[in-house]
Amino acid sequence: MTKEFSSSPTPDPPAPTPIVTLHDAGICYRPLRSLFNKKAREVWALRHLTLQLNEGEKLGVIGRNGCGKSTLMRLLAQIYNPDEGKVTYHKKNTHIELLSLGVGFEGNLTGRENAILSGMLMGKTRQYMASRLNEIHEFSGLGEFFDYPVYTYSSGMNVRLGFSVAMETNPDVLLIDEVLGVGDQVFMEKSSKALQEKFQGNRTVVLISHSPENIKKLCTRALWLERGAILAQGTPAEVAEFYKNNVHNYTK
Amino acid sequence: MFFQTLKRHFDIIFYRTVAGIKSEGRQRYLGYLWFLLEPILSTAVFYLAYSQITGAKGARTILLILIGMILWQWFEGSIMVAAGSIKAKFHVLNQCNLPKYLFPMVSIAVHTWKFLCVSMVIFLLAALLGHPPNAYWLYLPILFILQLALIASIAMPIAIGVTLWTDLQIVVSSIFRMFFFLSGIFFEISSVPESLQRYFFWNPMAALIDSGRAIILRAEAPAWGHLTPAILLTLLMLLLGALLHAHYDKRILKLTNA
Repeated sequence: MTKEFSSSPTPDPPAPTPIVTLHDAGICYRPLRSLFNKKAREVWALRHLTLQLNEGEKLGVIGRNGCGKSTLMRLLAQIYNPDEGKVTYHKKNTHIELLSLGVGFEGNLTGRENAILSGMLMGKTRQYMASRLNEIHEFSGLGEFFDYPVYTYSSGMNVRLGFSVAMETNPDVLLIDEVLGVGDQVFMEKSSKALQEKFQGNRTVVLISHSPENIKKLCTRALWLERGAILAQGTPAEVAEFYKNNVHNYTK
Repeated sequence: MFFQTLKRHFDIIFYRTVAGIKSEGRQRYLGYLWFLLEPILSTAVFYLAYSQITGAKGARTILLILIGMILWQWFEGSIMVAAGSIKAKFHVLNQCNLPKYLFPMVSIAVHTWKFLCVSMVIFLLAALLGHPPNAYWLYLPILFILQLALIASIAMPIAIGVTLWTDLQIVVSSIFRMFFFLSGIFFEISSVPESLQRYFFWNPMAALIDSGRAIILRAEAPAWGHLTPAILLTLLMLLLGALLHAHYDKRILKLTNA
């Protein structure tokens, strides 16, 4: 049963333009079974999910571990197809990207080369990434290490590079899974500020978070996902409050 | 937009290939030299064993085994590494919306580069050992492209198969071991009984290896007719690969327990 909050955040909202619509969507994982372990392992991570994501909105998704948040992100990012229901992308060539740090870094390539490679994995062309190298270099604060192979990096430097690259990919729809700032104190401040700037303007953002406070602060709409379905949706304040008061009822 | 995406995928393959070659080169003390040493070592082993059994000795036998060896290693190495490449890059594919054929292509490109390096050694060695370049060498690029197409066409369906059903990797490697002995790597097909030869040539790799030897060792044009099975198998597997990739591209990660 879905809890719907009726109050609207603005008295007279403009008609929203949908960018992605999920209609009764379901995702099922069926990993390989072994001859000696025939337990049917069919896990429906999402079921009967109907959701409209509008252009320019900042949607916060809250929920406990294993409730299907990340699966929802992969469905939106077109990494998975739905096993049930339908997903409609309303505009052709909408670039939807999951914010990921340092994915696919090759230890033997330099920071500069990895920046280009990683950007290409996230949907940008080589030329575009090459043109953003100065910004990436500067933001990462890696100095001369930018031209050293990545295997010489500390884990902190790795995330710095990964984050700086991710900040330059600028997709139409940005999906953020729990990453709101990384690195040491200084870079943490810088990175969370840069990320929060992504919430300004007309970009569409979906944010997964365990923190009701962050959802309240950053989003314009929120939903609570529980066992692959929407348990509640409404304004961030309403959903955050409802979540805080009721989440313990769902913990066994 | 379509071409832009295609170009981006090509760039990813290119960069990944460069990274793959670099990292193989940096893993060992002798680095890139192993691209050349590896086939030479295995040729030495086979030459020692084979020449003791059959008494066939000399430069021609060495070249014969070397040609068979590098063509086979290009074939088997590419396909076996490509087969595991989707699973190996599971974490990347789980974060980025990428077609699943990219990483198998990278494995093939890395092995093709290694093959091209070592084939230079063969050309040099052949010239030094009394088989200088001849006009038929112009056919070599055609043979290489045909073998590359064969490799890619076999690797694509196998890469999906192995990702869904890991057991297939063991089955495939056993089948390859059998074909290793049936492809005439350390003997010539002309040395098997005549009644059996036509069956040997149904095997695409046997035909490709024999064609390479025809050009380099016998200074004659390849028997194009023998290459028909290679072309047919390539077309068949390309179709199968395209169907499997189209069906599983967005599904496969949900069906894998990596």
